[in-house]
Amino acid sequence: MAWLRPPSLSSLVRQLGFLALASAATVKYDFEIGWVTANPDGMAERSTIGINGQWPLPRIEANIGDQIIVNVLNSLGDQSTSLHFHGLFMNGSTHMDGPSQATQCPISPGSRFTYNFTIDQPGTYWYHSHDHGQYPDGLRGPLIIHDPDSPFKDDYDEELVLTVSDWYHDQMPGLLDFFISKANPTGAEPVPNSALLNDTQNLKISVEPGKRYLFRVINVGAFAGQYLWFEGHNMTIIEVDGVYHQQAEATMIYLSAAQRCSFIITARNDTSENFPIVASMDTSLFDTLPDDLNWNVTGWLTYDSTKPFPDPAVVDGDYEPFDDWTLVPWDNQTIYGEPDQSISLDVIMDNLDDGANYAFFNDITYRAPKVPTLYTALSSGELATDATVYGKYTHPFVLEKGQVVEIIVNNIDPGKHPFHLHGHHFQAVWRSEEEAGTFQDSGVTSANFSEVPMRRDTFVLYPNGNIVLRFLAYNPGVWLFHCHIEWHVQSGLMATFVEAPLDLQKSLVIPQNHKDACSAAGVPTVGNAAGNSVNYLDLSGQNVPPGLIPEGFTTRGIVALVFSIISGLLGVAVIAWYGFVGMADQPAVEPAGAGVVSPADAPVVVAEPKGPTPTEVSLVDGAGGGGTRT
Amino acid sequence: MAVDVFSVPIFLVVFREALETVIIISVLLAFLKQTLDGPNRDVKVYKKLVRQVWLGTGLGFFLCLVIGGALIGVFYTAGGNRWENSELNYEGAFSLIASVIITAVGVALLRIGKMQEKWRVKLAVALEAPIRTGGRKGVIKRFLEKYAMFALPFITVLREGIEAIVFVAGVTFSAPASAVPLPVIVGLLAGAVVGYILYKSGSSTKLQVFLVASTCLLYLVAAGLFSRAVWYFEQQKWNTLVGSDAAELGDGPGSYDITKSVWHVNCCSPESGGGSGWGFFNAILGWTNSATYGSVISYNVYWIFVISMFVVMRFREVKGHWPLRKPKSSVAWSRSPPNELDEKSTRDSMSRLTRNLTISPSWYESQLALES
Repeated sequence: MAWLRPPSLSSLVRQLGFLALASAATVKYDFEIGWVTANPDGMAERSTIGINGQWPLPRIEANIGDQIIVNVLNSLGDQSTSLHFHGLFMNGSTHMDGPSQATQCPISPGSRFTYNFTIDQPGTYWYHSHDHGQYPDGLRGPLIIHDPDSPFKDDYDEELVLTVSDWYHDQMPGLLDFFISKANPTGAEPVPNSALLNDTQNLKISVEPGKRYLFRVINVGAFAGQYLWFEGHNMTIIEVDGVYHQQAEATMIYLSAAQRCSFIITARNDTSENFPIVASMDTSLFDTLPDDLNWNVTGWLTYDSTKPFPDPAVVDGDYEPFDDWTLVPWDNQTIYGEPDQSISLDVIMDNLDDGANYAFFNDITYRAPKVPTLYTALSSGELATDATVYGKYTHPFVLEKGQVVEIIVNNIDPGKHPFHLHGHHFQAVWRSEEEAGTFQDSGVTSANFSEVPMRRDTFVLYPNGNIVLRFLAYNPGVWLFHCHIEWHVQSGLMATFVEAPLDLQKSLVIPQNHKDACSAAGVPTVGNAAGNSVNYLDLSGQNVPPGLIPEGFTTRGIVALVFSIISGLLGVAVIAWYGFVGMADQPAVEPAGAGVVSPADAPVVVAEPKGPTPTEVSLVDGAGGGGTRT
Repeated sequence: MAVDVFSVPIFLVVFREALETVIIISVLLAFLKQTLDGPNRDVKVYKKLVRQVWLGTGLGFFLCLVIGGALIGVFYTAGGNRWENSELNYEGAFSLIASVIITAVGVALLRIGKMQEKWRVKLAVALEAPIRTGGRKGVIKRFLEKYAMFALPFITVLREGIEAIVFVAGVTFSAPASAVPLPVIVGLLAGAVVGYILYKSGSSTKLQVFLVASTCLLYLVAAGLFSRAVWYFEQQKWNTLVGSDAAELGDGPGSYDITKSVWHVNCCSPESGGGSGWGFFNAILGWTNSATYGSVISYNVYWIFVISMFVVMRFREVKGHWPLRKPKSSVAWSRSPPNELDEKSTRDSMSRLTRNLTISPSWYESQLALES
């Protein structure tokens, strides 16, 4: 079977430069997704999701303008899957974006699915599963788009891809069961077991003196942001999330989950030393710090492998990473004009009546629709512009083509959240400091916004702070906006943008293999979010999250309380009754010890005379305190 | 448990034991007064015997204090905070013990009015015994015989006192140490005062009102304790599940298991932060701001049990036998010596007997003989 062969890269262009002028090619991958065993940190073997029997995963690599075809076969057996190509615009191919129940059906075990799209953007990306919080089990890998016309192509000699990641020893399904359960009422995210560099530890990267290296760094982790620094070397940042920016010098950068950064490092001219590379997980995200957790991972720039590989120096005080918000885009694109649509989202963590902790945008925690949102958009005719049809809990916003859209995100939570928008680079026009409160209350206006804002696709919101993002709705499709901490994706910190749905209806054709995936998964391809294809405005039966926790007493509580009070009163009444009747049939006790014995009570001799001194106890009928002998 | 310095169950237990002791003493004193303090009686012997009564009482009481102090001291120093990890399991167990003890003691409290009688019976038996065995006096028997008026209150006080200590110790498991002294002292005083009133007035109607009221209170407390025991067990399970002390979550979500919750109000917690008023409510009525199926059902089951218990006891008092059992022959006891009778018939016969009890001259004479 062709499927089982190693990756057949029928026309993979591995290096740029020489082939810069080659015409657009087709890059084809056959990915059989299945379980392998891996132990990247040397601490625990675990089942890991690999591709074609290998893990770490193969890199998807192409040139700008190439067509990429990824044929997927899900051989996991016990889990569905999907692939999302993080950061790609997918202009004209929103159905290839990957999130299950948004732009496609999940790929059931044994099913095949083909992703086919053309890339028109350069830079550093990655691909990962977008189904049921699956990717931290291993299904995430780099996706690099080379650009023969890069403005920086003369500034480096060689490219290197470096991934940083957190790593769990347990599998996601079990961790998620715990994470979203009543046993975890505070919503404490599982803490990773270790950190990885290029899916290993103690990585050694050989460098040649004086050479200029372009490092494409991707945080493919599930949760932890990572501080990254190279001892003895500065980084010259040129690209973040696929957007060229004007060169900026940094000694340390911070990459949240899903962020990418390309920077140039110029190797030193002497080979007397090797230099540690350190990636350090952002422990401020963790609710607990287990004693056995090493949140750092170390690698080395190897100038001479015979020389020692020193331990990294301890960093004193707070980390001071480069502030990505200060970057200036290479093209000097100024801020988009006043928004046509402004959307304000408050990030809230709260518990629902199953006791588990959920994440909310405003008052909505995401629930997948019964029909993938894209298919609703395609099948609902004119009603596609009515957000109602997408269901309340996909948190849909319908955007018109060409609009300037503004998203204000207020963090009502004391954690950092890296927000990611599918299908676009947004302008990060404003980011507050920590604890600044909501944007609306902070007194900041558009006058404070960056005039030439940096652009990327994943941007960190600080604890109890706010961010303002703007983007152009030029890309018809269904695009998710969510926190890229995978835990929060699963606990519902996600909204859906349905962009120019009527345009989609005109142009988009869903391939048969996508429809086949739906029938294999038993997911309808027509209808509103509730699967209703007759009345699109009738959302009864849509997937809903658990209910709100009631304030105060419910009927149940009142009934219970009333019953308890009644039993208490009844009990007290019975005790009182017993106490008083008990006395009533007993003559009053008098200190003199006299009592009345009715004649019916015959005198009884109880003590028989014994021993040498016979004694009698006299019993007297009738009243009288004095002893009377009989 | 209630308001840190005053534990209601401890007060009631101590009160009850003190009252019983006072009643015994009062019966003894009344007995002596009645038999020896007449115009023709020996004042010297009377005074001597009265002194014996008080000496026995005092010594017994003193010994109780020593034993009780030692026990509680050992408990609080050795106990310490050894149970932190499953603290609520222990609190639950102790609440359960306290509830059972109170349930058992409470019935007796209602019948304290009848206790004078009971003690007259005991006294009669005690006074009979040495004379019956007069022919073979051992040293101890001779001593007891001679100092019956000392031994009886001494042993009684000691017995009642140790009983009280065991109860107090049981109940204090669920209360902080600071909640012990005040109710003990107040209980002793109240017991003494009420006993004295009982001795003086002989009227038991008002006393009975008091007893009924305090018993009701006691059972309310016990119901609350029972329900809380279940609640503690459940909460311990929950805390173990959540992995951190759920109390740290305050009253809000996550501080309780919502799937078992019957009601939960985010206020009025008797446990966390200055629940003062609610804590008192909790101690007396078993209030909780976070009721579970377990705690509500156990509260109601407790009352059903108590109600049934009283109804059955009343049935027995009236009919003379337990429900669903064959009644005993009503004349059986009259043919047998009292020490072979079952307790109930003994009590009946003895009460009849002792209502008319007088000291036999022979005993009096023997006392005089011992004096000389």
